[in-house]
Parts: sequence; C-alpha cells; structure tokens
Amino acid sequence: MSERRSMKAKLGGNVFKPDRERHINIKPGFEKDARLKAALFVCPAGLYSLNEEDEVVLDIDGCLECGTCRIACGTEVLDWNYPNGEAGVQFRFG
Amino acid sequence: MNIYVCVKQTVDLQQVRIRKETREPVLDGVPLTIGNIDKNALEEGVRLRDKLGGKVIGVSAGSEELNDTIKEALAMGADEAIMIIAPELEGAESSTVAMALAKAIEKTGEIGIILLGEGSSDNYSGQVGPRIAEILDLPQITYVSSLEAEGNTVKAVRNLEDCFETVEAEMPVVVSVVSEINEPRIPAVTQILKAGRKPKQIYSPAELGVEIAGSQIKTISNLAPEQDRKRLLFQEGVGQDVKSLVAALESEGLLGR
Amino acid sequence: MDKFDVIIVGAGLAGLSAAYVLAKEGIEVVIIERGDYPGAKNVTGGRLYVNPVRQYLPDIWDDAPLERHVTNEMVTMMSPDNSVSMRFRSDKFDQKPYHSYTVLRATFDRWLAAQAEKAGAMLVTKNRVDDVIKEQGKVIGVVTAGEELGADVVVACDGVLSFVAEKAGMIVPGQPRNFAVGLKEVIELPRTTLEDRFGLTGDEGVAQMFMGSLTQGRFGGGFLYTNKASVSLGMVVGIRDLIERKPGVEVHLLLDEFKERPEIVPLIKGGEPVEYSAHVIPEGGLAGLTPLFGDGILVAGDAAGFSLNMGITVRGMEFAIASGVMAARAIIEARAKNDFSASTLSCYQQFLENSFVMKDFRTFQHTPHVLDNSRFYGYYPQFAGKLLEDLYTVDSGPKAKISDTIRKNLSLGESLRMGKDLLGGLKI
Ligand SMILES: Cc1cc2nc3c(=O)[nH]c(=O)nc-3n(C[C@H](O)[C@H](O)[C@H](O)COP(=O)(O)OP(=O)(O)OC[C@H]3O[C@@H](n4cnc5c(N)ncnc54)[C@H](O)[C@@H]3O)c2cc1C
Repeated sequence: MSERRSMKAKLGGNVFKPDRERHINIKPGFEKDARLKAALFVCPAGLYSLNEEDEVVLDIDGCLECGTCRIACGTEVLDWNYPNGEAGVQFRFG
Repeated sequence: MNIYVCVKQTVDLQQVRIRKETREPVLDGVPLTIGNIDKNALEEGVRLRDKLGGKVIGVSAGSEELNDTIKEALAMGADEAIMIIAPELEGAESSTVAMALAKAIEKTGEIGIILLGEGSSDNYSGQVGPRIAEILDLPQITYVSSLEAEGNTVKAVRNLEDCFETVEAEMPVVVSVVSEINEPRIPAVTQILKAGRKPKQIYSPAELGVEIAGSQIKTISNLAPEQDRKRLLFQEGVGQDVKSLVAALESEGLLGR
Repeated sequence: MDKFDVIIVGAGLAGLSAAYVLAKEGIEVVIIERGDYPGAKNVTGGRLYVNPVRQYLPDIWDDAPLERHVTNEMVTMMSPDNSVSMRFRSDKFDQKPYHSYTVLRATFDRWLAAQAEKAGAMLVTKNRVDDVIKEQGKVIGVVTAGEELGADVVVACDGVLSFVAEKAGMIVPGQPRNFAVGLKEVIELPRTTLEDRFGLTGDEGVAQMFMGSLTQGRFGGGFLYTNKASVSLGMVVGIRDLIERKPGVEVHLLLDEFKERPEIVPLIKGGEPVEYSAHVIPEGGLAGLTPLFGDGILVAGDAAGFSLNMGITVRGMEFAIASGVMAARAIIEARAKNDFSASTLSCYQQFLENSFVMKDFRTFQHTPHVLDNSRFYGYYPQFAGKLLEDLYTVDSGPKAKISDTIRKNLSLGESLRMGKDLLGGLKI
C-alpha cells in the first residue's frame, strides 16, 4: 500500500492566494451548535475540528471554496462568502 | 510631457509549479501578468501624471499575448500603450528588449521620465533600465524608493540597503524603482472595462529598425533547489526533544556559529 | 453608474457560452469572474458530450482544447473485498466527429473565454460580484468591489451556490438532500505510461465509473477519466448521506481509501498528484430547479440547478452550455422588443422546454428518488461480487451447480426486493 499523503501535502499542491479577511466564519454563539457538527465530516479539506471546549473551529487556510459546509450546516450557523477577487484557490487543472 | 513606463509580461510566479521528478519549473499554460515591480513603476507614473499633467504611456515588448498584459497596465491608469510585438521577443535577452523599448519611445514623442521596475519578477537582470538610458543618452537613477518632480527636475531617494542617497536630475531621465516606493492600486472594474478602448500603438521590430540578433545568453540550468528532508522525528517528550533538536541542528552546522 | 447591455456573473461554461452568443450579435456584454482567470475556481469530473451542444456553439469545437475522446467506457462495482468490472470499447466512438471528450476546466474555460473575447465580449477577472441592484423589484445591475454597474439584463451564471440569484430574492440557500459534493485529484503520468497502462492508442481515452462500497452505503460513486497526460480521479457523495448516515466518516477519507484499493493503486502508481479540488454539485433533478427568470434577470447553468445525476454519471456541462446559449437567445428577443421584464424573458423557459435540457430533466425526473436507495451502494455490488466469487472458486470439494450458486446468494425476499428496485430503475 502506498503511503497516504497528509491533507497538508495534498493541499500544498494547489495554488492559494491570500485574502485580506476570512471568507467563512462560524457565527458567534453557534460554536457548539449541532448543525455545525456536520462540517466535521463533509469538508473535503478537513478544515473543521473540535477544540478542547468541544467547540467547532475552522482553519480557513486551504479552503477549496466548494460550498459543502454552507449546504450542510446552513447559513444560520455559518457566515459564508467567496473570497475577494484575486484571492483564494486558483485551480491549474480544474 | 510623456511619462513612459516599461512593463514586462511575465508568468504569474505563484502559478508556477515544480515538476518533482526533474525539479524543472512547469511554464506551459501559466497565466501571464505584469511583473510585480513594474506595477510599482506604473503606480508611480500615474501618481506623477496626476500631479504634473501629461500622459502615462505603457511600453512593452513581447509576443502576441502582450495584448492582455497591456490591458492590465491601461486599467491601472496608463493613458496609452505602445507594444512591440514579435514572436522572437518572447523571452528575448535584455539588450534586445532595451533596444526595442528605447527605439519605440524615441519614435513617439517628448520624453519626460522613463520609469521601470528595478528588475523583472522572472529574471531580475536589472539591465533594461540602464541600457535604455545608454541608448537614448539620458541620465539614470536606480533603486529609487521615493520620487518627487518639480518643474523640470526630479528628486529621488535611492535605497542602497545600508544607506539612502538623495539625488536630483533634469528631465528627461530614466528612473528604476524598488517595490517599497508605493502600493500599486487594484484597478476598478470600470477602469478595466475602459482599458480596452484606450489607444494602442503596435510596432514590429523591423519598423523600429531593431534587429533581433541570435541569443548571446545560454541558460545552463534552471532548476528548483533540491529539498532533502532528514526525516528526523523526536518523540521523547519536550525536555529531551529540545536537546536532541538542538544537537541535530548543531551537527548540521546550522546553529552555534 | 456605467451601464451595459448585459452583465454576466461567472465565467464558467454557462456564462461564457451566453457571452459568446451575445457578443457575436454585437451586444455589449460584460462578464465578471472572481477567479484569476476563467476556470480558476471550476471543477468538473471530466467528461463532456459534444453532440448535444454542437449546434449551440457551432464552429468552435475543432480547435477546442479537449483532452481525450472517450472510446472506452468502464463500470466497476466495488465490494469491500472484490469488484466486478465491465469494459466497453467501440470503434464507432473512435470515429470523427467524436462524441465524448475528457476535459480540464482551467484549460477549457480559458480558451472559451478567449473565443468570447474575440467575438467582442468584455471579460473582467479577479472581481467578485457582491450584490444585485434592484429598482422597484426589477434587477438593474450589480455591485462589485464597491462599484455599481448597470445593465438591461443580469445573467446569473455563478454556479451552484448562486449568490446572485439569492441576492435577487429568487432562491434561498439549498438543502443537503439536493446536493452532492465532488472531490477530485489530478495525477500526472507520462503520456506513454498512461496509454500503455489503460490500453489506449493515440488520443483515445477511458471513462471509468465506480459504485459500491467506496461510498460506504452512501449515495454516490467514483470516477476516473484519462486526460492527455494525467488522470482525474475522484468521487461524488450525497451531502445528506454524509451528514446522516452512521457511523460518520470524513469525506476525504473515503477518497483516500478508494485510492488505496488494489483496483486503483496500479493505475496511478508513480504518478505525481498535482491538484486536489472539490465542488458542490446540484443533484435535485427537476424538482431542484430554481426559478429561471425574473424582471431583468436570467439564471443559467449550475446556478439554476441544471446538473443531472443519471445513475453513475453527473452531467452538467452540456446543460450549462446550452442554457447559457438559450439565455442569450432570450435576451436577443427581449432586445428586439426593448422589454426586459419577466414576461418577455420567459421565452428562455420556452427555449429550454423545447431543447434537450428540459427534455432530459423530465426524462430523468425520478432518478434522484430511485438512486436514493442504499442498496445500490451496498447490497447489489456485493451481491454481484459474491456471486462471481463463488462461481469462479474451485474448492477442494465438488463444485456446486451454477443455478445452486445463484440460489444460495439470492434469497426469495431479496429477489422480491430486487424486482422492486428493478421496476424503480425502469423509471430512470
Ligand atoms: C466532481 C465533479 C464532477 C463532475 N463531473 C461532470 C462530468 O463528468 N460531466 C458533466 O457534464 N458535468 C460534470 N459535473 C458538473 C459540471 O462540472 C457543472 O455542471 C458545470 O461546471 C456547471 O457550469 P456553470 O458554468 O454553470 O458553473 P461553474 O462552472 O461553477 O461556473 C461558475 C462561475 O461563476 C464564478 N462566480 C461564482 N460566484 C461569483 C461571484 N459572486 N462573482 C463573480 N464570479 C462568480 C465562479 O468563479 C465560476 O467561474 C461535475 C461536477 C463536479 C464538481
């Protein structure tokens, strides 16, 4: 079996341009909301995790802008926008 | 008075990837853009024009694809563009490019300032500015981190790393700038849309009497640095690990010099 | 506020096709795209069927930068410890004009954009549209980077999440049951290695679909497409199943496990992974379509929900191209009347109804429901695998009759359920 590549290595092959702000934010007060737990499973980049307080946290670096978390968790718990122009992932193959 | 800004079309460096097997950069299909420092030169040109009046003219030499790049320059505020287009100009060496740019500038009118970036984002040879100054027999100021113009005189601060030097020169003058001189603007959509309609002049090298000689520069190698990971893993607990890490770094000659 | 005839939001296939047709008519059209270049944000699996769309964008296909024409169709049903594959190759598929191609969007979309620009369309990249401007309920423009731009018609071609349609008040954020997520890796292989490995001559290509245990009982499947010098390998999984089905699994681990299957490992061995991408796919079928027109606005492509899961393949690109072109045609009609109200623009719906787009959506309207059956992703692939395993096994004892082997694998209750699923399947 070939060695499994870490998510970091996978994402490292993509082009990401930095944004001046985070384009997705967990709405304050919803960190423990049940709806947000879905994000732990659906994010293709695995950017959502639980911290020690059992709150869902989002690491925005490596976001593929796929939109899955917006659909899965909904806009009541997530403040979701695309990154600004000139920012975010730029696929070279697509 | 005309402010000429020379811009170079380069690959978007962030889009270049390295083929692991060969360590060669993959340049096929990489989007083209204006060199980073060239954007600073443009911004400075636009700023001076807004103060002194006159026109900013973007000048560029390259292949057919220049049209897109020059549009970016026009969107950032240039009033007009001059392009010297020939397939051989793509990746041509500094002497040829400088000659083409100089001749095109000379042909089109009254020179006030010729602005350039100190070096291009791809090769950074830093030769085009000085060569243009020589060809046109103009004074030149390099490494400029701040520029003011009053009447016919420019006053520039040169960033020489360990000191700043302030110099003055009479126009016409060639000025090459470093990136800290300003923050280039992001063009507004309406400006981008207007850019397509601004005047553009296209020359062939022959029309300018420029001969494209065979290349005098040979690229021997263009490879990414070899990345050799030691794959050392310290897992004894923080106290011991820090010591082991320091020891390992020292044995590589990376610490304690 | 600067005003244009038409503003198109999104330079994907829908937006670029609309722009191309409008520009050819001499209409002043601006396309606004948030990516650095068209295609920079776009993901597809990789197969475009050209026949349905040839007539909508005539004359351009000869030079299109497509990857390989598909001559080999493969289906693989996966169980946890075996798989059943079928490979179909056709000489007919190897004859010009080819009907099916693999594509990579970063290349294709950039090229299509260049065609639209040549025709006179104005393309603005690196700019996100943030809002629509409405006046008395009518859409009259958009806001981007703080600037207002006006237009007779705005066309929302901004893909599956369509913020434009949302801001215009035409849709609300979507529900998990109507969407899937697609994940994909592009893995480079030297051309000759790839052709030898997949048994291809010249520019021939393979399209391989996978279903079964790879999604662990979830709605979805896997795909592999050969490009010129790379393979696109990925999977599509229903978002609702990802949320609801227990035990939960992180979707990217499904892809990792799929890649580690012995069916896949030798295909990508030695290849260099060069990109990892993901994208939501609308899969609501007919019922999932959004309103298509309003005063001063049209919606096309994924933004309108025009993506169809036809069992084992996703089709969205042809619908995007065709709906983009029909949106353009509707605008051309509206201009002739100089009336951009919803009632005039409604001819867009009519054009769609008369085309393969709505016909396919009606034909396949039961697909989402029929496919929403975990037996397709678990039981059937396992049944087929187990049956063949038994048939091909020669043990130390005597070999059972074939009919006995089948009977052993298929109880009466199961055959009844299978019959029911089969009837359901006939609706597809
Ligand atoms: C993994 C996967 C596999 C697939 N496989 C296939 C297949 O094999 N065959 C097939 O036919 N279809 C397939 N599809 C579906 C197909 O890719 C889509 O249906 C198609 O890409 C839709 O095209 P579009 O132009 O409507 O939208 P998109 O291609 O998504 O384009 C939308 C554009 O709008 C831009 N945009 C969005 N918001 C804004 C904004 N606010 N401002 C400015 N620009 C904006 C985006 O950057 C993008 O360029 C697949 C999809 C996925 C994800």
